[in-house]
Amino acid sequence: MDPTQAGMVAIGAGIAVGLSGIGAGMGEQAIGAAAVGAMAEDEKFFGKGLLMTVIPESIAIFGLVVALILLFVF
Amino acid sequence: MFKPTRMTRVAIAGTKELMGPVISVLHKLNMIHITDYNEETEDFKIGKPLKPASKLSEHLISLRGISNQLGIAEKEPKAKFQVKELPVQIDERITVIQREVASRFDELRSIEFKIKEKEDLISAVKPFMALPLSLDSYHGYDTIKVHAGYIGEDIETKLAKITRDYEIFDGEYEKRTVFALFIPRGFEEEIQKLLQELRSYVELKVPELKGNPPVILEELTKEVSSLKEKYLSIRTELDKIKSEYSEFIMAADEYLSMETQKAEAPLRFATSPNAFIIDGWVPSRRFNVLEQELQKSIGDQVYLTKLEEEVNEEEIPIELENPGPSKPFELLINTFATPKYREIDPASVIFITFPLFYAIMLGDVGYGIVVAAMAFVIKTKFKTGGLNALALILFLSGILSILLGVLYGEFFGFPLFNVEIKGELEHGILGIAGPSIAGFHFPIHRFESVQPLLLMCLIIGMLHVFLGLIIGFRNIKIEHDLKHAIFAKGSWMMILIGGVAAIAKLMPALMSRQPVPSGDPVFLGGVALAIIGIILLIKGEGFISILEIPTLLSNVLSYSRILAIGLSSAGIALAVNTLSMNLFIRPHGVLLGGGIGLALVGVVILFIGHLINLLLGILGPGLHSLRLQYVEFFTKFYEGGGKKYVPFGYIRKYTEE
Repeated sequence: MDPTQAGMVAIGAGIAVGLSGIGAGMGEQAIGAAAVGAMAEDEKFFGKGLLMTVIPESIAIFGLVVALILLFVF
Repeated sequence: MFKPTRMTRVAIAGTKELMGPVISVLHKLNMIHITDYNEETEDFKIGKPLKPASKLSEHLISLRGISNQLGIAEKEPKAKFQVKELPVQIDERITVIQREVASRFDELRSIEFKIKEKEDLISAVKPFMALPLSLDSYHGYDTIKVHAGYIGEDIETKLAKITRDYEIFDGEYEKRTVFALFIPRGFEEEIQKLLQELRSYVELKVPELKGNPPVILEELTKEVSSLKEKYLSIRTELDKIKSEYSEFIMAADEYLSMETQKAEAPLRFATSPNAFIIDGWVPSRRFNVLEQELQKSIGDQVYLTKLEEEVNEEEIPIELENPGPSKPFELLINTFATPKYREIDPASVIFITFPLFYAIMLGDVGYGIVVAAMAFVIKTKFKTGGLNALALILFLSGILSILLGVLYGEFFGFPLFNVEIKGELEHGILGIAGPSIAGFHFPIHRFESVQPLLLMCLIIGMLHVFLGLIIGFRNIKIEHDLKHAIFAKGSWMMILIGGVAAIAKLMPALMSRQPVPSGDPVFLGGVALAIIGIILLIKGEGFISILEIPTLLSNVLSYSRILAIGLSSAGIALAVNTLSMNLFIRPHGVLLGGGIGLALVGVVILFIGHLINLLLGILGPGLHSLRLQYVEFFTKFYEGGGKKYVPFGYIRKYTEE
């Protein structure tokens, strides 16, 4: 692979992680705020709240997987 | 293990005279979970509290008030109080202690008020130090008005336009000019106007005191310091009272809480004019103990029976039952939700998977040692409660991290063993080659083996999710039947196994740009199995459940975080080490090549960097390992919603019988 190509792959991997991270963050922000609100009313919501909050995180993981495939397969 | 404690529903009935003794026996046993009676009928009403209840709670309230004021905190008792002696002691001492404490606090408050008053006076007098007048010369004129204040500009030229009949003094206080103007009252209106127009003017009130400001100030300061001394001496007295009585107060609190609990227990019973009935649950294996104790202390007059009728499962109180090592993990289960009566209690599974995931992520001998040591300190400091459980979990995770750290060959991010990377030998701290276990050569260098580690994480994920599905299968089979279990969980198992087989064959082909391996039996079998699974799923759960299928993929891929978190933690450690070593401690490859100053900067970077990474290293792996349990694992089988078992009784800490 010539250096330009390698650089492009690296940039692509970076974009994959970065954008998916932003996406996950946007999702988590709203859910996290709501979960904290629910927990303030009743602490029993902790488990469910945490569960809901981390659901969008999968998006970040997808980005990471794409980045790893880019870096190690191409 | 795996199942909550078996419970038996019991009813205890007797005549009302026996209610007190029965309550005492039950309270002492700390065994029965009382079901509150709340459907009043004509024959049975909710019971009334026993007689001493109001007096006890009165005592308890004043006691709690005292312990709040004194700031008494729970601690391990040195000696225990005898229950027999406590009632007399409480009657005697509580009023005395309360009087002593209250009078001292009153005094403290009045002293605080006085100090505030004097300090206000001091700050009012201070500016007048700048003027050569006694404070009484500012008051008591019939025809002269006195204005005092700060000023930042020339006032006399403007005054001259109004009158020349005035006297003014000025001086400097804290770099501002203070002035006092004495002027006949006839000019008051003009002067008011003039002062209002001056922007820099700030009025000062002259304190109503007599004497020279320096003398007054000295007196006031003396008074304040003597007040402060008095305040401190009262504080010391209070501390003395606190240390003298704190154990007694804790013991009395415990005694009174227990007695109040007993006195108020009838509020949970069904009572008729002459009899009472207690409805509740006891762990089945301890039913005999209850029977024997009631027989021994009360005799035949009280009637105890097992109730065998079917009840709503949600009514049964849940006590988790796990052997010692996995006991702390009940905390993680209860934080999520208490299981239902017939559900699997996954604490023993988490006992293995939580520390394992944590260790695979953290995987560093140095960090592992610090985490385990910290957890050990917390564990010895807090003998009971949530913090103790958390410390035990962390301790186990830390120990396992040390082990994984050896396999990764990492010590605070430095290589532990000699290892060859891309043909270059990297010298480890120990200066020896890594161990070989069962033909594998360790260490596994994490940055050099991303692909195999990623694969390992995904396999772990698959197994973990599959285990969740198996438990879910069992739960549904017990709650409903085999058919439901196959539709709801069996279908998912097929999709998972089939999907994994198909993808395992498909991915390598796609990546090396080969055609789809349509002739491969494993690939075809996998696809077929997955399709059967999907059909079962649609049959069982409806067409909409197709939308859920990608979740399975994301569940398994989610386990790649095990690798990701680990790499980021190791990466930060490596960055910190490289920065401090190359730039400061060994510039140009020579020890202290940049002088002592630079080396010190290096040490600071090393210390702070690792401290931050360690904090991240506790939070990150902890939360993500937990998340994998809660989100990926529990959702496959766990419903929760059980009611916690809260036995009627008390665990004594400060008192004994």
